[in-house]
Amino acid sequence: MTHTIPYPDWQATLDEKARTFLETARERVAENGAEVLPVLFPQLPRRLGREIPGSGLAVVQGRVWDWGAWRACDLAALELVEEAEIPGSMRVDLFLHGDMEERLMAMRTLVPAPVTDATIELLGEAQRTNTVPHFEAAICDSNLLVRALEHSAFGIEDFNRMVLKLAFIDLPLSRVLQATEHANEDLSRMLQDLATEREAAGRAVWADTNRMIARAPTAGTLARLIGGLEHGDDRQRLAAAEGMAALPKRSELAELARERWEREPRPQIRTALEKITAP
Amino acid sequence: MRIFEPHAHMFSRVTDDYERMALAGIRAILEPAFWLGQNRTSVGTFIDYFDTIIGWERFRAQQFGIHHFCTMGLNPREANDDRVNDDVMAILPRYLEKDSVLGVGEIGLDDQTPKEEKYFLGQIELAKQHELPVLIHTPHRDKKKGFERMIDLIKDSGFPMERVLLDHGNEETIKITKDLGLYSGFSIYPHTKMDPRRMVSILKEYGMERMIINSAADWGISDPLLVPKTCIALEQAGFPDEAIEQLVWDNPITFFEQEGGRLDRAELEKPANIDRRETWDGNSVLRGQDPEKY
Repeated sequence: MTHTIPYPDWQATLDEKARTFLETARERVAENGAEVLPVLFPQLPRRLGREIPGSGLAVVQGRVWDWGAWRACDLAALELVEEAEIPGSMRVDLFLHGDMEERLMAMRTLVPAPVTDATIELLGEAQRTNTVPHFEAAICDSNLLVRALEHSAFGIEDFNRMVLKLAFIDLPLSRVLQATEHANEDLSRMLQDLATEREAAGRAVWADTNRMIARAPTAGTLARLIGGLEHGDDRQRLAAAEGMAALPKRSELAELARERWEREPRPQIRTALEKITAP
Repeated sequence: MRIFEPHAHMFSRVTDDYERMALAGIRAILEPAFWLGQNRTSVGTFIDYFDTIIGWERFRAQQFGIHHFCTMGLNPREANDDRVNDDVMAILPRYLEKDSVLGVGEIGLDDQTPKEEKYFLGQIELAKQHELPVLIHTPHRDKKKGFERMIDLIKDSGFPMERVLLDHGNEETIKITKDLGLYSGFSIYPHTKMDPRRMVSILKEYGMERMIINSAADWGISDPLLVPKTCIALEQAGFPDEAIEQLVWDNPITFFEQEGGRLDRAELEKPANIDRRETWDGNSVLRGQDPEKY
């Protein structure tokens, strides 16, 4: 198994007690294998801490993730699961019988690993359980969701459902790396329907809706984008402007964008509008 | 008055109980793993129950502003059942390391059989290995003899007395336990076992040191508000606020506090964070209400 060494010196922020614990845990794993993980995993957050010791993007064999989302306990969990050469069934077991923190670590340690049957099963759990920290650990701050499409048991319909859940719980699209590359008309329709439903109920609409639907326009997309330019919420207006800038035929909207630009008070939105009018 | 309720089986209670308990000042609850009213026939049902009391039940309490903890153990009734006893012992180590697990319990004797003693001692050893205190259920029948037998077993095991909570005590058992250095627990029930008036008398005679009271509320006729009700009875009897707080806040926290940071006093200073947009396993305490308004 290829070991993913976390960024150098990640343990520098640990105190001596935590370092000793991790050292002992590694020895226990080396001696007994994965069978000790169910006893070690629950201890990691309280022994190693929940601070985030570093940051930076990792790119390994097409797998991309942001160390800035990894807490000390997550990093230790990664070292232990790799040391143990954890079988997929154990990953699933750690999630199913884990507390909040264990479940989070079980999800996060999927991110640097190859996509296997266990990955797909756990992504299904993230989708089904709808618990925000677990959902975040599974699909945010990495390109795991996109990589999952390489697996025969995970299709574009599964991808769409996950993005729809992202919208439902209002997490930023930018945290799911490379997701916009897989925009599709069916997803646009799903997101637009959710937005309409929310609007009818007087509830907030996912601010990234317009960013995603513009990449694969379907019936109603253009009207929603144009309407978004007049939205009273700055985030919605910005997303509409950025979405329009990503449209394949944006030049047709240049006149509208220019007109809005003259009235737009926010510099960031004005910049986005300029991209629509650019030749 | 802040209250740490150190023995309530919330698994078998309804959301109204949580609401009333929070309003009555109960800031934290400890839920000992227990017998569910009928015997289980496989270890799988224990696993699901243990997962529930570290998962959904903890979440449910939090949704009402209450911090939730538990103890894990093989209860004495099912220690007698060979369909489950060894298998439960095998799964306990992983559960004894969970963040919300503050002790081993409730364990002890019920019918006072050799098998109960075997698994009681086995779990005392687990408590030593995992550096946890023990919450001990005492027999409802032949209680005095059961108390004395358990004290002998604990002494022989070398387990530190200050990490032992002998629960379900009464006027008779306190005479046995008062000088042993262990914690004495009293379960206050409507009409039986122990009531607020008798509890006041015991506390007048023996003081607050290493005394713990609880409701032991479960699926039977019991009242999860009996700790706050006893606080009122103590106030009426002239006990100062500091003494009552020692009984219902400091004592249980001191007993369950331990190395490793599972119980953070500072965290208990504030009610648990209520956020009804959150879910556990896709479930919430809401039934269609708008989480942003309710």
